Amino acid sequence: MPGSPTALLDELTLGRAVELESLVDRGALREMAESAHQLFGASLRIFSQAGGLLADASSQPRLYALLDQGQAGRTALSAVVSGVKSVEPEPEHPAEVGCVTGARYLVASISYDSHALGRLILGPYREPGAAPSGSLRELGLDMAQVPGAWAELPELSDQEAHRVVRHLSAVLDLILFSGHKALLTSNMHLASVQESYRELADKNAKLQHAFDRLKELDRLKSNFLGTVSHELRTPLTSIIGYSEMLREGIAGEISAEQKEFVQTIHAKGEQLLELIKGLLDLSKLESGTMSLRKSEIDVVPVVQDVAQTLAPAARKKGVEIRVVSETGLPTVWADAERVRQVLLNLSENALKFTPTEGSVTLTVRASMIERRADEDGRGLVLFSTKRPAIEIRVVDTGIGVPDGEKEKVFDAFYQVDGSATREHEGTGLGLSIVRRLVDAHDGTVRVEDNTPTGAVFVVTIPCRRTTIA
Amino acid sequence: MQLDFSARELTIKLVYYGPALSGKTTNLHSLHRAADQGIVGRLMTLETRDDRTLFFDLLPFTFRDKGGLSVRLKVFTVPGQVIHASTRRLVLQGADGIAFIADSQVAETENNATAFVDLKENLKTYGLTLKQIPLIIQFNKRDLAAVRSDEEIAALAAQGREPVYLAVATRGDGVVESFIGLLYLTWSALDAEHDLNRKFGFDSTAFLESVAKKLGHDGPLSDVLAACVGGALEVLRPEAE
Ligand SMILES: Nc1nc2c(ncn2[C@@H]2O[C@H](COP(=O)(O)OP(=O)(O)OP(=O)(O)O)[C@@H](O)[C@H]2O)c(=O)[nH]1
Ligand SMILES: Nc1ncnc2c1ncn2[C@@H]1O[C@H](COP(=O)(O)OP(=O)(O)OP(=O)(O)O)[C@@H](O)[C@H]1O
Ligand SMILES: [Mg+2]
Ligand SMILES: [Mg+2]
Repeated sequence: MPGSPTALLDELTLGRAVELESLVDRGALREMAESAHQLFGASLRIFSQAGGLLADASSQPRLYALLDQGQAGRTALSAVVSGVKSVEPEPEHPAEVGCVTGARYLVASISYDSHALGRLILGPYREPGAAPSGSLRELGLDMAQVPGAWAELPELSDQEAHRVVRHLSAVLDLILFSGHKALLTSNMHLASVQESYRELADKNAKLQHAFDRLKELDRLKSNFLGTVSHELRTPLTSIIGYSEMLREGIAGEISAEQKEFVQTIHAKGEQLLELIKGLLDLSKLESGTMSLRKSEIDVVPVVQDVAQTLAPAARKKGVEIRVVSETGLPTVWADAERVRQVLLNLSENALKFTPTEGSVTLTVRASMIERRADEDGRGLVLFSTKRPAIEIRVVDTGIGVPDGEKEKVFDAFYQVDGSATREHEGTGLGLSIVRRLVDAHDGTVRVEDNTPTGAVFVVTIPCRRTTIA
Repeated sequence: MQLDFSARELTIKLVYYGPALSGKTTNLHSLHRAADQGIVGRLMTLETRDDRTLFFDLLPFTFRDKGGLSVRLKVFTVPGQVIHASTRRLVLQGADGIAFIADSQVAETENNATAFVDLKENLKTYGLTLKQIPLIIQFNKRDLAAVRSDEEIAALAAQGREPVYLAVATRGDGVVESFIGLLYLTWSALDAEHDLNRKFGFDSTAFLESVAKKLGHDGPLSDVLAACVGGALEVLRPEAE
């Protein structure tokens, strides 16, 4: 976008487009030239690279006024002017140019950041001891006036002239630097404001879009999930309710055999209800519509609550359940209800797959978690490999998970013994939900062996809220 | 990169990126101090408040090759403070190479990582990824006490892709080495893309050696390049995308 502040910034910092006129204030340039003129006597002119006169601190010396009166003198003078204008001095090496009068000019290149931006011309001046040129007579000057007019010319040795020019160049360089800086600053201001505005407008548009999409998703989701849960659950609740009433004999005496059938209907109904709940959770997790209410939570009470919930079932089965935790543990950034769900799933499994006289132990301790590596491997060294986390282990003394199954058990519907005759109930959804919930907390979950027998499910949840996604 | 064929002039933009207070501006000051007056211009620090960069710093270098090519380097720093996000993006635009200046202090680890993610995101707005732009990482402030250990950095650097340098910018340690490493990667990548060496009859090793010399490092280029503690001085090639 030419003309935009960013394009201009590029030109100003990288390109050759910087011009003398745009870097300096003309008034300031004139003032500088004027004060130099007063200080050293000699005239001073500053031209842009294109040849425009930017500052002119001069007074026409009488000798030149005399020359200007005759045709021949005028011609000679304009030849001098074009001569002076046509020299191309190297940076740092001003060029001396002689004049038809016998006086001299010194021409220096003005450069900034090693680019030529213009020229500075000092003169005419006469060197000490130099005499006016004899050719003045041929130009028709009144020779009686020449010595007086010559003496009025400012006197400067070449050495002094060079010093003056060096000094002026240094001052000019500073002025240019400040000018450049001011120009960059104002353009940067403008560009930053524009960029912030663009960014905000962009974000607004994105937010609006996301909001619209979410609203639509939400509508679809609540429609679908609402339908599913309502349409499935309502009849199921009736089935469970009525079978319960039948079983309790509320509708009259039933035989032992009938009671057994009704009991099966009731149990399968409950199982179906659990399955529906699980499926709903999974679909929410998959569509990303499950919202987590994260806050700084202490996991120990959550773990204790899970153990208490399962205590009656454990007692019934003759399995001991206990909690071991360190004190003074840091909090984690998590949704307490979801963490509870994770631990409940794992503990239920542990209980389910542990025979009588076994034990289930929930341990909580401080630990570290590996930061997930960057997908393209860049900047690896910048990410600390580990950060503080809380580790919760669900340890049982049950049948354990064979090596080849350790990853698969986290797949939806996967069960180690998938046969119809398997002795344990369940649908194989629990661990896939666990895995997704833990992922949503930036944590990890894995299964290890317990010795001599049993499984250990290890959940690690980072302590601090992550800034790196 | 801007190439002016008629003037035989090449302008390369290098950007020092990183979290707030990691020492980007200090790196430029040290480079300026180390550089021979003939090659370096004034260090322009644009608008600072309490010594914090508001817009950018700019350090210009000009090198003239014997073949008549002049190479101009414009070294920029971005403002590291989080609030200057849009300014950072502006300064980053058109960068040919990036030095990421990280703060070695353990407590700054998270800030380094955040700034790195910020860099990636800003590059993305220009349609670029880190795979397409030369990058070096410098761990600055090695003189402080609570810093990540040399061993840890070396071990991680060895697994990473980009060269990693250790520095104490306030003393100038590692500053020139980081700069030459970045210049080496940047020049090589530009050469691979635009065939600069052949077009201009340019000897890049000699060029980099002379730059290093003007920055106070005499000797073969390989010596300066060897200062990196890990990662690879792997040259990006256009076809390797
Ligand atoms: N001890 C120590 N201090 C350093 C080092 N490098 C920089 N500093 C100090 O860190 C502070 C910040 O340095 P700057 O160079 O201004 O940081 P910056 O990255 O430009 O910061 P922003 O402009 O805010 O992004 C200054 O006080 C420096 O003196 C170093 O190697 N060691
Ligand atoms: N503690 C454990 N010990 C041994 N095997 C286990 C243990 N936990 C899980 N498994 C194995 O992993 C499988 C998958 O577990 P998951 O919790 O996903 O399903 P489920 O318990 O069978 O059913 P659901 O949890 O849906 O009621 C289990 O069927 C079992 O084979
Ligand atoms: Mg289960
Ligand atoms: Mg700074």
